[in-house]
Amino acid sequence: MTGAPIDPRQVARWRVRFAQFAFLAVFLFAWEWASRSRFIDPLFIGRPSVIGRHLWNGVFVDHVIVKEALWTLAGTLTAFALGSIAGIAFGLLFAMRPMAEKFFDPLFAGLNALPRVALAPLFLLWFGLGIGSKIALGFSLTFFIVLNNTVAGARSVDPDWLVLCRTLGASPGRIFFKVTLISAIPTIFSGLKLGLIYALLGVIAGEIIASQHGLGQLLTYLAGTFDTDGVFAVLIFLGVLGVLMIKAMDVLEGRLLRWR
Amino acid sequence: MGALGASISIQGVSHAFAAGAYAIRDISLAIDEGQFVSIVGPSGCGKTTILNLLAGLLVPQEGSVRLGSDAPRAGRHDVAYMLARDCLFPWRTARENAMLGTEFRGLPVDKRGARADEFLRKVGLQGFSGHYPKALSHGMRQRVALARTFSLESPILLMDEPFGALDAQTKLQLEDVLLELWNDERRTVLFITHDLAEAVVLSDRVIVMSPRPGVIVDDIPIPLPRPRSVRQLQKDARYHELYAKVWSRLEVGLSQAVAAK
Repeated sequence: MTGAPIDPRQVARWRVRFAQFAFLAVFLFAWEWASRSRFIDPLFIGRPSVIGRHLWNGVFVDHVIVKEALWTLAGTLTAFALGSIAGIAFGLLFAMRPMAEKFFDPLFAGLNALPRVALAPLFLLWFGLGIGSKIALGFSLTFFIVLNNTVAGARSVDPDWLVLCRTLGASPGRIFFKVTLISAIPTIFSGLKLGLIYALLGVIAGEIIASQHGLGQLLTYLAGTFDTDGVFAVLIFLGVLGVLMIKAMDVLEGRLLRWR
Repeated sequence: MGALGASISIQGVSHAFAAGAYAIRDISLAIDEGQFVSIVGPSGCGKTTILNLLAGLLVPQEGSVRLGSDAPRAGRHDVAYMLARDCLFPWRTARENAMLGTEFRGLPVDKRGARADEFLRKVGLQGFSGHYPKALSHGMRQRVALARTFSLESPILLMDEPFGALDAQTKLQLEDVLLELWNDERRTVLFITHDLAEAVVLSDRVIVMSPRPGVIVDDIPIPLPRPRSVRQLQKDARYHELYAKVWSRLEVGLSQAVAAK
């Protein structure tokens, strides 16, 4: 027996970790076995050991996955940056000038209700097979998410704060930038987090539909050549990429919004 | 500010939010410079309406309102307004929050800081300047709001149930803080509350109002000596007499309202 007391929460955490690891191991073994014994045709489910090798090769040896991921990432970040800037700009305009929102409402409501992937053929026509059409699709998704969050954030400002500022003699412009805008930042930020994931979704969808580069294109190619192991390897890589993107946004949020 | 300084005058003021449904009716009230006056009454008696008229957030439909010799206007530098909620900005530290008013009123930055520090010390928060509101208790947050209000140097203070959201213990502490702040520089205060004990402890006069439509039932002078302390007054027989008197007048107002219905 050691003298130091053991934190029961720590114990509970390790138990969950262990259970997760055990479950994953059992699952992978069962998968490997099902595939090797042809209990399920490997054409449909691949084989964990081969998927692992694919992933390793694609990332560290011939860099196929990394190279295509850079295209996807470039498209995603560009679509995210443009969509966020435009979304925040229009959101702030709408918050400041409700008439502008009324004016744009029919157009934006229609576009927002439209399944954006349906625009892909048009974007291909306008921007070509390259990264431009992918950025356009990602932009069309990010823009509305960030726009709606910006408007919601700016609307939800505490009315008592505004009363206080009025009695302090603050001008409407100052109230907007010093109070409304800052108080909207947490809501805008949750829009940005969602917007980033949707930018990735748009770009991947665009690459799947028609492209020369990117993880989406790689997925279609691998699936087309019945390389199921390769498809799973890319999917795992995409999942990790998405998680890392969300984590990066969380870190940024923690830095920016320390006061929360 | 005009020749009348920091006095408050309300003459024959009525205000209705819907046609015929008066929130307040024929209110006349004069407060001298440096006087601390409370208005008590049940909720919905129009206390806050009176304050909002003085703050320039509402325009009176009948009658006239004067602060000094001028009509009220939101943002006047001689008026400071304090609400029941602390209204601290969560992204500003205690010190930055205490500097909000002076910042909006254009004081130079070094002076803002000096005043914020001075009043944070006076409300007993010297060690908490760098804390964000999330790290402060309700009572501490309202102390910051007090510092923000008093650092404005406005000779007229309008306070709308500033301690209404606090628990009983914290409230007593903050009443003492307010008494001290006010004793240092006697500003003209109109204080809205539904807590009779609080009104008696703090005020030179207590105005009792009846429920909707709000009319003034009585105007009771509180001649307790100053400086006062909340705890010492609890042992003072005169304080309890005055409290009973305010209570009985409030009851009259309530029964009149019931009879009218």
